[in-house]
This record gives sequence, C-alpha cells and structure tokens, in this order.
Amino acid sequence: MGRAGLRAFAAACLLALAACGDTPGPVPQRTGPAALQVLIGSSGAAETKAVTDAAAAWAKASGNSVTVIPAQDLDQQLGQAFAGSSPPDVFYVDAARFADFASVGALEPYADRLPAADTFYGTLRQAFTYQGRFYCAPKDFATLALQINEDLWAQAGLTAADVPRDWAQLTAVAGRIAARGITPLVLGDTVERIGALLVQAGGWLISPNGRQATADSPQNAAALRYLQELLRAGLARYPGDVDTGWAGEAFGRGLAAMTIEGNWIRGALAGDYPDVRYTVHELPAGPAGKGTLSFTTCWGISARSPYQQQAIDFVTAMTAVDQQLAFASAYGVMPSVTTARDRYLQAYPADRAFLDGAAYAQGPVNAPGMETVMSDFDTQLSGLAVRDPQAILRRLQKNMTAALRD
Amino acid sequence: MTRDAAGRPARRGGFRTVVGVFLGYAVLVFFALMFLYPFVIQTANAFKTEADAAAHPLSPVPDPFTTAAFAKIFDSTAFPLWIGNSILVTVLITVGRVFLDSLAGYALARLSFRGRGAVTAMIVAVMAVPGVVLLIPKFLVLNQLGIYNTYSALVLPLLVDAAGVFIMRQFFLSVPPSLEEAARMDGAGVFRTYWSIILPMARPALITLTILSFQASWNEFPHTVVAVQSPQLFTLPRGIANLVSGSLGAGTQYPLKLGAALLATIPVAIIFVIFQRYFVRGAAEGASKE
Amino acid sequence: MTDRTRRGRSGIRGNEAVAGWLFVAPAVLILGLFLVLPIGMALWVSVSGWNGQGSPFAPGVPFVGAQNYTSLFLDEGLTRENFMISIRNNLYYVAVAVPAQTVLALALALVVNQRFLKGTSFFRTAFYFPSVTSSVAISVVFLFLFANSGAVNALLAMVGISGPAWFADPRGLLHLVLDGLGLVDLANPPAALTGGGPFGLSWWEWLAGPSVAMSTIIMLVVWTTSGTFMLIFLAALQDVPVQVEEASLIDGANAWQRLRHVTLPMLKPALFLVITLGLIGTWQVFDQIYVMSQGKPANTTLTPAYLSYRTAFRDFEYGTGAAISFVLFLIIVTMTLLQRWIMRDRDEVRPRRRWWPPRRRAS
Repeated sequence: MGRAGLRAFAAACLLALAACGDTPGPVPQRTGPAALQVLIGSSGAAETKAVTDAAAAWAKASGNSVTVIPAQDLDQQLGQAFAGSSPPDVFYVDAARFADFASVGALEPYADRLPAADTFYGTLRQAFTYQGRFYCAPKDFATLALQINEDLWAQAGLTAADVPRDWAQLTAVAGRIAARGITPLVLGDTVERIGALLVQAGGWLISPNGRQATADSPQNAAALRYLQELLRAGLARYPGDVDTGWAGEAFGRGLAAMTIEGNWIRGALAGDYPDVRYTVHELPAGPAGKGTLSFTTCWGISARSPYQQQAIDFVTAMTAVDQQLAFASAYGVMPSVTTARDRYLQAYPADRAFLDGAAYAQGPVNAPGMETVMSDFDTQLSGLAVRDPQAILRRLQKNMTAALRD
Repeated sequence: MTRDAAGRPARRGGFRTVVGVFLGYAVLVFFALMFLYPFVIQTANAFKTEADAAAHPLSPVPDPFTTAAFAKIFDSTAFPLWIGNSILVTVLITVGRVFLDSLAGYALARLSFRGRGAVTAMIVAVMAVPGVVLLIPKFLVLNQLGIYNTYSALVLPLLVDAAGVFIMRQFFLSVPPSLEEAARMDGAGVFRTYWSIILPMARPALITLTILSFQASWNEFPHTVVAVQSPQLFTLPRGIANLVSGSLGAGTQYPLKLGAALLATIPVAIIFVIFQRYFVRGAAEGASKE
Repeated sequence: MTDRTRRGRSGIRGNEAVAGWLFVAPAVLILGLFLVLPIGMALWVSVSGWNGQGSPFAPGVPFVGAQNYTSLFLDEGLTRENFMISIRNNLYYVAVAVPAQTVLALALALVVNQRFLKGTSFFRTAFYFPSVTSSVAISVVFLFLFANSGAVNALLAMVGISGPAWFADPRGLLHLVLDGLGLVDLANPPAALTGGGPFGLSWWEWLAGPSVAMSTIIMLVVWTTSGTFMLIFLAALQDVPVQVEEASLIDGANAWQRLRHVTLPMLKPALFLVITLGLIGTWQVFDQIYVMSQGKPANTTLTPAYLSYRTAFRDFEYGTGAAISFVLFLIIVTMTLLQRWIMRDRDEVRPRRRWWPPRRRAS
C-alpha cells in the first residue's frame, strides 16, 4: 500500500470519528479572564500544596481561574496530552527533556518576553535555550555538592581542615577513611552524578550550541579513569554495591563517609534519617577547576494554548522573588533568579555550597532524542569498574551523533 | 497377579502405599506452601511496622501488631477513590459484557441473517489479537473520539469481549432448539424468546461469564494506562502501580504497599472462594479460547 | 391457512434478520471501534513520522515508508540495539518460563489427580488461587519477597546463602554459569564473542541468558500461570478412561511406565494446548515489567511489549513504538495460528459436553 492508499485507509477509518485532527498554524488567542490548566510533576505533598496555594492567590488577584493538576508520571502525561487535542496551558518541563518538547514545537518560546528575563542564572537560561531561543522560565534549581558524615569523619581522625578541595586531596582522605574500614564515598552510578567529574576535568558531552557530541574527549576519559581508580581501589562505591537504592540512603544509614547529591538530600535525610550529622561542601575541583551539575525545571507554556498572555502573567508571578523564596521554604529548592540570592543565603546559610555551584554548574545534555542515549550511557557507567572508559565514551559518541543527526 | 473380589488388582504391599500417600501429601503440602505462603507473608507484613517487616520478612506474626499502614493507606493516598472507581468500572463492564456478549452469542448461534458467517469470523479473528499490542492504537482511537481520560474511555472499549461472545455462542449451540421453537410457535418475538426462555436456561454459562468478567475488569491494568491519566480516574491496579513506582527517597514503605495490594486482592478472593467451580470451569474454557 | 402460515414464516425470518443484526450490533460496533479500527490507525502511525503533537491524521504528518521498521532490524543504532535486547530477553524468558510452567502444571495435575489422596480439591484450589489475583497486586508481593532484605533472601540466609540484590542484578544466568564453570571470565569476556554478532548485538550479549532480575519475573509468572494450566491438564486427565489405566495395571506396568506409555500420550492434546498458550502468553508480559522493573537493570527486563509502550509514551517515538507493536503482533499471531492449527480437530467435539457438571472418569 502506498502513501496515498494508506492515507485513504486512515481517512476511511476516521470517517466514523468526529474529531479529525487539528488544523496547523497559530492558535487564535483569547483575551479576558482565562481558565488555565497547570500540570505539575510534584516532588510531594508540600510542593503540590505550595503551588496550588500560590496559583489560587494569583487567580484571585488577577481574576482568572487556575486548576493545578499534580501528575503521577509527568513525562507520560505530557506525552499523551500533546497527542490529544487540549494540552495543559502551563506545565513543568524537566531540563533533561526540554529539547524533546522544544524540537517538536510543543513549547511557546516566551521567556525573553518576561520582565525579569535577565535575572535568571546564566546556566539555567542555557538549559532552556534551544537553537538560540530562550524558551521557558526556570522554576527553581538544585546543584550537586559534597556531603560529609561528621561522625564517620571524626572516626577516621579527620577535621574540618581535611575537607578535600581537589581530586588529589579527595583520593588522599578517601585512603585514610578506607584504612579505618569505612567506605569513603558512595556515588550514584548515573551521568547525573558522574557528569560532575567530566566538568571538573574540563570536558562535557555536548558542544555549548547543542549541535555536536563531544563525548570522546581526552578530558572525559581522564575523568572516567579517575573514577575507575577510585572504584577499583574501593575508595568509591555505587549505591547498589552497598545494598541501597540511592546514595542518599547509603549516606543516611551511615554506610559511607561522603556522598555527592543535590539539595533534595536535605529533605530526604531529615525525613528518613533525622539523626545523621553532616555538612555540605563544594565539590572537589578537578584538573580544569570547579565543576558541578545543575538540575532544573521550567514553566513550559503550550504553543497551542489560547491563553498565552495570561499564562505568561502567571509564570511572571510564580518566578517573582518573594514567591520563589516562599517555594524555597515550602519544599527546599533554590530560587532561579540572582536577585533572590542574598535573601536565600540569609535564610539558609548551610546551603551556600549548593548555591555557589550555580556559578560553574553544567545543565543536562540539551538536545532532543537523548533519553535512550543517556540511559544507555548510565548502563555503561554502572559497569565502569570493569569496562574500558575509552570504549564507553566512543560508544556514547556514536549514539549521540546518531541521535543528533535524526 | 492377585485380584480382589471386585476384580481390581490387589494393592501391592501396604508399605509402598503408605510411602506413596506420604510422598503425595509431602508434595502437595510443599507446593501449597509455595503457592499460599506469599499471601501469608503479604497479610502479615501489612500489619507490621516498617522496621519489623525489614528485619523479619518471613515471620507470619507481626510484632508489634499495627494497623498504621492501613491508616496511612486511607489517609495519605487516594485509596477510597480508587476503590470507588474500580467498583463503578467493574460493575458497568460486567453488566455490559454479560448482556451484550450473550445477546451477540445467541444471535450468532441461533438467528439466521446475512453476514452471520462474517461476523462469527470477525469475532474469532479478534480473539487472536493480543491486548498488549493494542496499547498505542487504543490510545489513538480514544484520543480521536475525544473520550481520552474519561470514564467512558475506561468502560466503553471493554464493554464487549470477543471471547465472551464466543463462549456464549458455543453454549447456545449446545442447547436443544425445541424449547424456543415452541415459544416462537406461540408467537413470541425474537427478543422476548431470548429474554424469557433462553436466558433463564443459560444460567450456568451466564454465571461463568459474570465471574470471568468481574475478575478481568477488577484486575485490568494495561488498558487504564492508555485510557486515562488523571488521578481522579485511577482504578485500584493503576493506583497501586503508581504507589509502587514512587519517587526517590520516598522509602520502601512495604507494609503500606502490601496492605494496598491485599485490599485489592480481597474481593476477588471472596468471589473465588464462593464461586470456585465456576472459576475452574471458566479457566479451562477461557484459557483454551484466549 | 397455508397462506397465513407462509406469511408468518417469512415474517419470522424477516424478523430474525433484523433481530440478528440488532443483537450483534453492539458487539460489532465496540469490537470494530476499539479493536479493528485501532489496528488500521496504528498501521498508519507505524509508517509515519508523527511526533506526537496533535492528531496523527492531520495534514503535514510525513509518510516515512518502512523507516520505522528498518530502524528495528537494519539500521545500526540504539533503537535496533534496544529492540534486539528486548527480543533476546523475551526469548530467554519464553525458553525458561514455558517449560517450567508446563512441567510444574503437569506435575501438580498428576499429584492432585491421585485417587488414593484425600482432600485434593483443597490443594487444587490453593494452586489455582494465584492465577485469579491481580497481576499488579502480585507484583507488589514479589517486589517484597525478592527485596534485598526480603523473604527470599531471609530464607536463603537460613541455609547460609547470601542472596543477590535480585532487582539490581543485570548479570545473565548463562554468563554466571559459564563463569562458574571457569569457561569464561565475566570481567574479561572472550574477544571471539564480543567482536560481533547478528543484528548489532554481540554473540556475548546474545548468550547472556535471562538476568538475575528477569529470573524473579519468570518465577512470578510461572507461579501465577501454573494453576490455570494445571486445570487444563486435570480436565484432560479426568477424560482418561479408567479401563485403560486398569489394563496397564494388569499388565504389571509400574508407575513410571504407566505415566510414560499410557497417561502422557493421552494428554498430548492438552500438552500442546498448554505449550502454545504459554508461547502466546509469554510474549505479552507487560504489567509485571511496568510495576516491578521498567526494563531495569541495564535493560535486562526490557520486553518488546514494554519497549513499545516506553518508546511511544516516554520517548514520543510513536512511529517506532507502533512498529514494535506490529512486529510483536506478528509473533503472537503466528503462535496463535499454530495453536489453532494444532487444536483444529478438538474444537469440533468440545463445546457439546463442556457445560454440564464435570464427571470424574466418564465411562
């Protein structure tokens, strides 16, 4: 059956159906009071409540109405919503999936029209820029930092002066901790943690414009070789190796003296392991200096929303300094605008290491079709101890290049 | 070879029989434990504290005994809503299937009309279509029809099942036609004959179909994944699946998850115990026609 | 009089035609709308480049021919690799689960059918019960049973074995066996095997066997399906005429000979039925994967059914996802046709006596 035949067949199939697809082209915009649908991928009850309350307050003040829908599985729900006729007007977009949405035209590139567009951290702007356009406003962010278990640290005879500042010091203190029979470092076995080492070595996986794969660089290889040494010497372990689901659990249970996790570890430890005493420090610098990863979500606005102006007003309110500080206190994230920095630090001095990371953080790989490529890379990384780093990176390079070509 | 009075071969040696009986029961009890002990573990651990469940997963006795998990199920999850949805959807689908399947089955078995052969062939062909390959297609249709993410999407596509139509057709083929012929002679219409003469006779088949439909729709999972996305429309299996694939750092919460799964299992278990023989009959019939 | 009768008859026949269509109309409509029509729509999607935005039937959605299919079989890349891994996983899954559930079901049926044992109906019920419960609920139970600190590892610890981290262990069982025998070194697989292989997957990967994680799902499925298959065997066993068995007793055959030469040949149709049903069912595993592993660890529990779902709804590659569905569809339909062909003689006799209460050892 040729193209025409198939189309005719599909059309015949559709005769019985009323809705025959949407007409392409810009969606006519409506003015006046809007009924906004907001789909969020909530981290928990606290976030759902905070966003719902903030949305209700905005709706009341502006005369619009807002329905906040917490998604159980944001990726899937968004995918199914876009395939349908009426996607939500506003929704969370994770930086790691952002390019997938932007590349198919699902997102309205509105962010430069925001009054406070210039106040977002540069690294976050970069994370939501696709083919030169800044699409959507970062909602908040988190970075990776080094957590140290104070009790195990003291047990190994270490003091505050021993906190590692670079790779050499990290190896040295890890050796001293291991000598006491304690696992020095537990580290998640995915690109979302190990990627920080690549940045510290001066490498990264993709060129800044998001067009070229740069996976098989000597810098990346150096970073993986360094981690491989740590793993082989027992100085670093993956969470699965110590029988835990993620590094925070291992750290909370006192199975390791150090871990590398993001801001979310605060809430997790406070909830599940309230007794563990720990401090947070910037990640040790590599050969190329400091490096960390940032994790962020933006307020996406649907290109097919008939209420784009109202949606932009809503996002403006949600990203205002006061509102972001309120979110920060409700569910432990960091504001996405530099103008909130000082007030945030006043309120949470212990988070300085996380916040300072914003200056040199690297966002996720910002290109469409990377989901399967990155999960394959994760699979390879989980076997880093016994695999050749060069081969892992060559494989990644090949897969990324193929995905970028499509 | 010796034989007893009835002419059957005599038992060869009491000892061997005793050993045989012993071995037979040993095998039965071993497998009964294999098949039922997981449910014991599930029930027991639902009443344990999280620490106890982690430390003594095998123990059938909760120590201390707590209903905290169940309190949490009803407090902090949308469990009551899921139950309500499950009941609504199950009742609608079961009623629909029993009525529509038997209606179609009767027509295919007894009424002569043009195209009967074609419809029968379609039913048989459709039975061969495996459900999981229809996930994407079903989503597309529900979306095109504009009923995606509604109760209609949960119920409508499951309202008829080809296997049920086929089972009913086979049943009506096996019923002697004399009774309905008598009714027709008395001038009863086709539907009245079906409703007041045929259906009452079909009771055993209808009960089997009811049981099969109830069990299938109560447990249905993949269809709900592509039919709805809003938490207000979750049925029990979908809700529990989401509960299980919880986010990082949410903790294992096994008593909670096991308790939720237990509550979802109880209705089927009760029906199973009461209508066992229909299940057994349906299994052989359903399985061979799947 | 004759005239009236004739008119009455034709009236009834006319009624019948209308009633017949009215009676089947709801079934035809629903099955057509939600089973037949979707297949046509998916066929179009599988040869289109629809990106999941708006309707797949809107003008402007490109036709890409067989591209989605070639990316599964011919084009080098992750799509093919993941698809082939899912095929490999499912092949091993079938190869282990089908024989296991068939043998277990047959053994249970033979024991339950022993006349000299009392109370077998209780055991029959017990073995069958897991089959009627929700796959999602059962998956939750198995998640707990095989957790790191779960019941199975506790049981293993009692006999001094330190159990694996079941759901986190991607090592293939075949690899482990070969490694255990000293034939290969897991950390340094032989270059002859890692060098290349069919469909972009090295021989070493093809020969991995089911992973430790997959083996828990296999155990779950064997555990839930054996009861149903046991019932099929039981039904067949009860059709074995007593005279045949007694005749063999008189011949002085021992239990094994009786099983081998008398019972099993008579069970042949049931055996075929169970095996083909197993072959069909094992290609459809979805719920357990969705709840328990989502394809993890290291894609070793990925199956085509789950992969098609994931590809479409998570990666928004609807075309590729639909193409995977169709390949899976072909596999399963082939199995079904095989079953229909094998069972074709039996279907004729079957419906007649099924509905009456089962008679033990009909004579």
